[in-house]
Amino acid sequence: MTLSQIAKHALTGLALSAVAVTAHADTLRVGMSGGYYPFTFVEQDELKGFEVDVMNAVGEQTGDEIEFVTASFSGLAGMLDSGRIDTIANQITITPERKAKYAFTKPYVYDGAQVVVRKGNDDIQGVEDLKGKTVAVNLGSNYEQLLRELPYADEIDIKTYDSNIEQDVALGRADAFVMDRVSATQVIKDKPLPLALAGQPFSRIENALPFRDNEDGRALRDRVDDALADLRENGTLTQISEKWFGTDITTP
Amino acid sequence: MHVLDLDYMLGLLPILLGYLPLTLEMAGAGMVAALVLACLLAVVRVQRMPGLNALAMLFISFFRGTPLLVQLFLFYYGLPQILTFLVAINGITATILGLTLHFSAYMAESIRAAIVGVDRSQTEAALSIGMTQGQLMRRIVLPQATRVATPTLMNYFIDMIKATSLAFTLGVTELMGATQKEAAGSFLYFEAFLLAAIIYWVVVEILSWLQRRLEKRLNRAYQR
Repeated sequence: MTLSQIAKHALTGLALSAVAVTAHADTLRVGMSGGYYPFTFVEQDELKGFEVDVMNAVGEQTGDEIEFVTASFSGLAGMLDSGRIDTIANQITITPERKAKYAFTKPYVYDGAQVVVRKGNDDIQGVEDLKGKTVAVNLGSNYEQLLRELPYADEIDIKTYDSNIEQDVALGRADAFVMDRVSATQVIKDKPLPLALAGQPFSRIENALPFRDNEDGRALRDRVDDALADLRENGTLTQISEKWFGTDITTP
Repeated sequence: MHVLDLDYMLGLLPILLGYLPLTLEMAGAGMVAALVLACLLAVVRVQRMPGLNALAMLFISFFRGTPLLVQLFLFYYGLPQILTFLVAINGITATILGLTLHFSAYMAESIRAAIVGVDRSQTEAALSIGMTQGQLMRRIVLPQATRVATPTLMNYFIDMIKATSLAFTLGVTELMGATQKEAAGSFLYFEAFLLAAIIYWVVVEILSWLQRRLEKRLNRAYQR
């Protein structure tokens, strides 16, 4: 790399960041992990998934340009807080703590928390069997919270991950993982990992889009909320859900 | 047990290679900037410049004493909450900045060691025939110090290339970020990460070959 290239690179960096600051009046910057099948994932260099389709539909409705920004899940909240993205489309579940901090849209996905085990593991039939087991959850996710709130939480060895919890359970390093029922079902159906659902979903969850809780954030939230209501009305949300899940997860 | 999916790997190769330039650019820019900063720090330390020396020691202590990931999060997510204008720094710039600060601390110490390692008698000899401090550094000390420092500096460069894989936590899709996302889509973890490992490995091997040639050149004066 030559010096002039480096200088050019530094200048592009500056120019890009200037654009990022001025242009987000009608560009909605949407953060996602790109690592949550089938909500957000990449195939052949193309970002796809339920969340991508929903946000593109929102953009068509509001007239905003949708710009997807991918980062590790643990980095997304920091990007939202520091103003680098406007919202997170990554199945963010509404929790009291998050509600106190962010301005949420109305829920657009209704789901349940699900225990998943390695195929053939009959020891665990549901959340009550997790006592004394090692359970994998995504770092900073509401499932970690859910587990910690169980009355026997201190008897569970909770392991937090940045990604790849499915793989660690398939390999037998963790006894189970907890995530939403919808994507767990889909992963088991579509992917070659030896996994199985353990029992029924144990907690109802509602997922929505968080925005910064200030004047601009709330205005943006209202605009997106209106668009989501329209998309619900005209059947687009149901249609997108059917495409990815074969069932409607967008209604309670 | 599934068999290695070679077709998938072959299809993924050009996609992942597309992200290699960004990885190398971040490491290259970080290396150049870190070298400059490390030389300055080393000179301050060797000359024991009053005041500055203590600052340099504090800088080196902090950036060697904390993990790179902590530094990246601190500057990219933490600082903008206090100094809002810092939001203007994008992920690529922040990564380069993080690599520069972190690795310059290590490199400063090896450059300092290389300078100090040049035998004192040579300094005395050079001064006795009337060389100035500048001439002494340029003609006697630095050429020898460069030869000593090169292998360790190349080591840090190799380390830096691999450290760019942290950039995805700042939202920069480089080689590792692209691999993670592709693996999330296919669930073929072994294939995807094996391919990423091979790409990093080949790049580092090419650099090691360049390093051997460079060392040979720097050693010319010592060969009979």
